[in-house]
Amino acid sequence: MYYQLINFGNEEFHAYPDKSLYWKRLNTLIVSDLHIGKSISYAKNKQFLPPYDTKEILNKIFVSLDKIKPSNLIIVGDLLHDVFSTLSLKDQDHKNLSQYMKNTDFIWIKGNHDKNIQIEGFKNFTNYKIDKLLFTHIPIETSLFQICGHYHPKVKISHRGKTIFKTCFIHNEKIFILPSFGILTGGLDIHSKQISDVLGKNNLSIYPVGQDKVYKL
Amino acid sequence: MNINKSNPLTLHPLTKWMKKKKWSWFPHQIETFQHVRSGSDVVVFAPTGAGKTLTGFINPIDDLIKSKKYKGLHTLYISPLKSLANDIVRNLEKPIKELDLNISFQVRTGDTTPYKKQKQKQKPPNILITTPESLALLNSYENAKEFFHNLKYIIIDEIHTFLDNKRADLLSLNIERLQTFSPNLQRIGLSATLKNKLDAKRWLCRKKPKIISYENSVLPKIKILESKERIPWSGHMATYSINEIYKEIIKSKLTIIFVNTRAQAEYMFKNLWLINKKKLKIAVHHGSLEKNLRLKVENNLSKGLVDCVVATSSLELGLDYGDVEKIIQVGAPKGINRLLQRVGRSNHNLNTPSKAILVPTNRFEFIEAKAAIEEIKKNNLDKIDLKEGSFDVVAQHIFATACAGQFDINDLYKEIIKAYPYKKLKLNDFKQLINLIQDGGYVLKNYDQFKRIFQLRENKNIYKLVNRRETRKYRMNVGTIIENPMLKIKLGTKTLGNIEEVFIQNLSQGDSFIFAGQILEFQSMKNNLVQVKRSKSLISKIPSYSGGRMPLSTNLANSVRVLLAKSNMWDFYPEQITEWLKRQKNISKIPKKDEYLVEQFPRKKNFYTVIYTFAGWHANQTLGFLLLRGFKEFNYKPLGFVANDYAIVLWSLKEVKEIKTILNLDLLDKHLDNYLEETSIVKRLFRDNAIISCLIERRLPGMEKTGKQVLFSSDLIYTVLKKNEPDHILLKSSYEDAKKNMIDYDRLREILKKIDKKIILKKLTSISPLAVPIILEINRENLSKKETDEYILEDLENEILKEANVLSIN
Repeated sequence: MYYQLINFGNEEFHAYPDKSLYWKRLNTLIVSDLHIGKSISYAKNKQFLPPYDTKEILNKIFVSLDKIKPSNLIIVGDLLHDVFSTLSLKDQDHKNLSQYMKNTDFIWIKGNHDKNIQIEGFKNFTNYKIDKLLFTHIPIETSLFQICGHYHPKVKISHRGKTIFKTCFIHNEKIFILPSFGILTGGLDIHSKQISDVLGKNNLSIYPVGQDKVYKL
Repeated sequence: MNINKSNPLTLHPLTKWMKKKKWSWFPHQIETFQHVRSGSDVVVFAPTGAGKTLTGFINPIDDLIKSKKYKGLHTLYISPLKSLANDIVRNLEKPIKELDLNISFQVRTGDTTPYKKQKQKQKPPNILITTPESLALLNSYENAKEFFHNLKYIIIDEIHTFLDNKRADLLSLNIERLQTFSPNLQRIGLSATLKNKLDAKRWLCRKKPKIISYENSVLPKIKILESKERIPWSGHMATYSINEIYKEIIKSKLTIIFVNTRAQAEYMFKNLWLINKKKLKIAVHHGSLEKNLRLKVENNLSKGLVDCVVATSSLELGLDYGDVEKIIQVGAPKGINRLLQRVGRSNHNLNTPSKAILVPTNRFEFIEAKAAIEEIKKNNLDKIDLKEGSFDVVAQHIFATACAGQFDINDLYKEIIKAYPYKKLKLNDFKQLINLIQDGGYVLKNYDQFKRIFQLRENKNIYKLVNRRETRKYRMNVGTIIENPMLKIKLGTKTLGNIEEVFIQNLSQGDSFIFAGQILEFQSMKNNLVQVKRSKSLISKIPSYSGGRMPLSTNLANSVRVLLAKSNMWDFYPEQITEWLKRQKNISKIPKKDEYLVEQFPRKKNFYTVIYTFAGWHANQTLGFLLLRGFKEFNYKPLGFVANDYAIVLWSLKEVKEIKTILNLDLLDKHLDNYLEETSIVKRLFRDNAIISCLIERRLPGMEKTGKQVLFSSDLIYTVLKKNEPDHILLKSSYEDAKKNMIDYDRLREILKKIDKKIILKKLTSISPLAVPIILEINRENLSKKETDEYILEDLENEILKEANVLSIN
């Protein structure tokens, strides 16, 4: 799989088209906003989305783990969509997860969606610091470099009379935002107020995610 | 006709009123009265001006007078348009008031206030005038049965507009529901003239079915605009003829200019305005304009306060605009029925002919216009193909039924298959649709605890709504007309109308565009409102509206072929057309009416293949894609294709040698699935299906979440479903829709079945005169959405790299 090299916080990262980020130096894989079980959570409001998202997200993550074999998996928040979502994790899913946990540490940083939920085997944190890097769901006041999720960034690209929206990795000097790793998750325009308030408008590095490749703008 | 003693209507209360007005009954009105009185369901075919509205009401009014102070709802009148419903009320008001009849009547549409609606429910009028959507809503109320149990008649106006679409499906299901509530209900259909009258009868009538027909002997006077200018080779904007059109407007008291698209309407209006030296009052009317703006134009039109209105199909139906003297049709007629409908908007008086002028916008359209005039002289109408009922509409109907109260699925199934479009609905498919409403109907039973309807424990055939709150969701999604995601346009605080979100996304601040006849500058988009200001810019874009492209009807296409082959007629055409055809005959060939001409020639560095199918745009578009695949298999290295109503052109790197081997029925069978897969056709239709079947919620313009997000999430659902559950009923439904509507499957199949024996192959050294129009249309990209996205990203990245003086290694 092709990756895009991204320099952030004096470290090198690889951005993959499956929307995961790899920190080679520490053999650590980073994902965010999986929103597992979003479909089941919608179903309680009688919005019946196809119930295959959990299966697909887990498969995606397992494929990635098989290939990279990281020592750590950091989930930067919103692993689950809400408390109902645990219903979509079947026994087999739990078995598979614990199999992978034998070789990989699962570090679960809590997001706004999954604050009060527990799953066996996951290590829970509100944020997680490695060297000068802080992993947190939503950026906080700090002098550290931060790697976050939460916003599901997408970028509007107008080129030669056509306009498209693409999910993207995005960072400024201090803050890095991952795209959502989920299946039924939407996106937020990087020029929206919510994202501008965090990243500002200038000196942004934007990496749209294509079919088999992560691009650089 | 005089009223004599044998006329059964002599004693009818309306006769007195008619006499006062010095009117008399038409034969079809008398016939209708008699047949309905003897218990028949009828369909009445009569031209505009032949008292159609009154025809429907003759029996109801007679009954109501005889039964004296009838309590409750007696007659339901269904109209295809809200505006038409209001017009019917005005027409009904006259005799009822003037005769001082004790009959109550009201209108109920989406525009009726909630207060009025509530009152109507408590105390229904004798006659209710409404639309299919409002009827569906009425049937979803808990008291629907009481409300309708005394209903005697249902009148369907303009029934010809209800036969070939999902609205027809919805209406047919609701008529059967009414019949269940009130078994003695009689059905009266009113229609413009139709080729396949029997089909309309089958669709509507159950009891002693009867067709009543009144043909107009006065033919409309239609001619083609005589232009001194050069008719362009291709294009659809008729810029060449603008001065001549303006002269025609000056000559008549009141003119409606019909165009085929909203974009053409804006463009035509703008161009007329630029040359409007006489300061004529010209207005524009199309479906995207704000209701109030539209009503204002309609009002001015009926009062004769304007000189000319440029309109799309939005002004096609029903309404009586009195003094319209002339119709100008700009662009191809596309079909006979449609042209007649439009032409009929002028001179509502039966005995004077309607007048119309056709303005072809390119050379093929000239032939098409000529052919249409010929067919109208012969009264050879287009056949309306009745469609088989769509699944998503049944799903919506099931939800509506559940909103009205608990129901037995066997009873419901029996009722549904009485409706003509659903005669062949399989029990198994029906059950899947029940599941779809229940919990999405997925194989993976994940949602057991979250159902929308559930089976009673004591009787598994009875289903019940889980929660009354769900009725609100049904009411949001009711109906079968799904628009593309739209945004409201605001000029100051005034709303001008709705515009497609896709168009706005391509604008930058300061860009100007034409809308509602004004040049506007795009300022900002906030809270899903597009803020604009007036602009003086001379360069402006024209909003495009996707969809709505009508293919050339089979009937008219055949006529075009016949006409094209009649070389003895050519001398009567304008010189430039004659020259064009003569040169074609010398250089290549003019195909006979059952031949398929294929021309091949080199041009620049590529090799071109042009196939003249006259199959209409949808079928040609499909065939183009299939041929692309076929050419790839033979390693001709095809680069692209373009299709229009008449022909397809493909270009390739290598010479296409085996065209006769490739062009046959196998091509369709082999590559069709692939076509549906790769283009976004099914995906787009899936969105409609998901909304109509209430799987996802409909968003209306101005609501918090934008339409784009609905589109987005329906795309996600489609992708997930396609991968995990390809047999899901909604995928099946979308696929069927695609086959029926978007790719003209049956038409294409008919052509490919016989094409191989009728190909006339011409190898040329260069482009032929007949091929020029379609070659000129080559300018769009032919990549699928997925490919386009990647292409844009790739290209942009390279540009940026070049700018930064870093050459891309790959």
